[in-house]
Amino acid sequence: MHVGAISVLAGAMWGSSVAHNLREKLFATRKFQTAQMVIYEQQAEKHVVSEISGKVIELPFSIKLKDFRIKYYKPEYLHIQASGDRNWLVPVEIGNEVLLDSDLGSITVLRSFENFRIKIDGDKRIAIDANGPGSNPALELQLKDPNGNTTTRYAFERFTAHARPEDKLALGYYRIIRDYISELQIIKDGKILAEKSIEVNHPLHFGGYHFYQHSYDSENKQYTVLMVVSDSGLGLVYAGYAMLCIGVFQHFWLKDIFKKKRVAS
Amino acid sequence: MAIKYTTQGLLIYAAIAGYLLAFIVSLLGGKKAGRLLQLLGFIMALFALAYRWYHVGHIPLQNLFEVFLALGTAVYPLGLFCRYVLRTPGRLADMLIGAVVLFPAGFFFSARPLQLPPALQSWLFGPHVAVYVLAYVFMAKAACHAVAHIASRTPPPGDEFISTEQSAHKMICVGFPLLTLGLVLGSCWGKLAWGDYWGWDPKELWSLASWLLYVGYFHFRSMFGRKFARINCIWAITGMAIIVITMLWVNLSRLFAGLHSYAV
Repeated sequence: MHVGAISVLAGAMWGSSVAHNLREKLFATRKFQTAQMVIYEQQAEKHVVSEISGKVIELPFSIKLKDFRIKYYKPEYLHIQASGDRNWLVPVEIGNEVLLDSDLGSITVLRSFENFRIKIDGDKRIAIDANGPGSNPALELQLKDPNGNTTTRYAFERFTAHARPEDKLALGYYRIIRDYISELQIIKDGKILAEKSIEVNHPLHFGGYHFYQHSYDSENKQYTVLMVVSDSGLGLVYAGYAMLCIGVFQHFWLKDIFKKKRVAS
Repeated sequence: MAIKYTTQGLLIYAAIAGYLLAFIVSLLGGKKAGRLLQLLGFIMALFALAYRWYHVGHIPLQNLFEVFLALGTAVYPLGLFCRYVLRTPGRLADMLIGAVVLFPAGFFFSARPLQLPPALQSWLFGPHVAVYVLAYVFMAKAACHAVAHIASRTPPPGDEFISTEQSAHKMICVGFPLLTLGLVLGSCWGKLAWGDYWGWDPKELWSLASWLLYVGYFHFRSMFGRKFARINCIWAITGMAIIVITMLWVNLSRLFAGLHSYAV
């Protein structure tokens, strides 16, 4: 137990930023403790920015981001607000008509967009799902008032409670994030050395570092931000944890059970 | 404070009523009826937990509502374990603890079902929280025994411990390895999810504080425990007080905003 606790502390000291700096000064090692890197889709990057010194450091290999994507929970929701603090959170189901209060009529989701854009074609304005860069998730809705008149409206994820001055309803598109996924390739001298889709709780371990999904381009979903953390001292910490757990369970649980068995025999 | 007029809420209220009636009936001398009512309370709590699990689709240990529901369910089987394996009494304390921990789940904490955020989607989520739930029940029971020991008027005869102090120690001996495992699993999970096995987060610090306090308890008891049995009990009660801070204050107070804030 006590050796385990000492091992955890020793591992923590060996992996600290102070120990990394000291080893750099004494032995000219180039290993950093924590840094961040930004990689655009379909591009390779080998530079990281140290979180402590702010210096740009070059890795001995590069990392290519094949794809970055976000997964969402189902169902997605349409948030409807009306006067008098009236609120509805309706699961999105294409073609399903949802009845609201008698003064408001009903609402039907017609289709969804990942990248909503308006295309101007002569006098017409057409809603399209653009393939190019950018991200503007939206829903196309059909509103039917109590008299049976229909109008088309849009609900946006990035502009919640969207409404024009003449509208009775404020609308929003609401999705719950399930995961962030970055598909990575480790490349050195033109060869792919490793490949992994990293997500929260599933980092990539390569070359003495762990690469974590840290952040992303929330505007256009074009790049990912990875946190790069040195694995120095980690073995000592984990060995300490194992010793501590084995020691504690042996001392408080197993020793007592074996003692009882010996007494019984 | 809000009453939950839902199946979930009614099951919790039935469990609270079962535990409370069991406590009152037992105090009045109806031991058999008390045991039956306690069993009834446990069955209701188990139904409430199972209903929640089915409703949210993941192990219900995500927020304070679910954790307190789990505590109220775990207290009965762990009470049986203490009674028949450790040979430590405390049925009355079990009834009271069951009702007390289910009360905030029934009246205060929001039961709004939540999807698991990416950080919580890990195989460590269940084990990390579950071992803490088990450890906390043992520590709460130990604290009850410690209070009973301090409240008892008869001083310990000679250099021997009286049974309440010894039973508190036995339960802390069972709970402490679970507390250690919870801390270690949390640290390993932190490394996977946040990139560091120690983030100086308020919940982590208070968990470490409670762990260190029980370390202090064992060392003190080993060195001076025979002479100062009542002080052993003060250690045990203080440990429970720190656990309450770790569980509630850290999540409910704005003072301690940190990485575990989602657990409200």
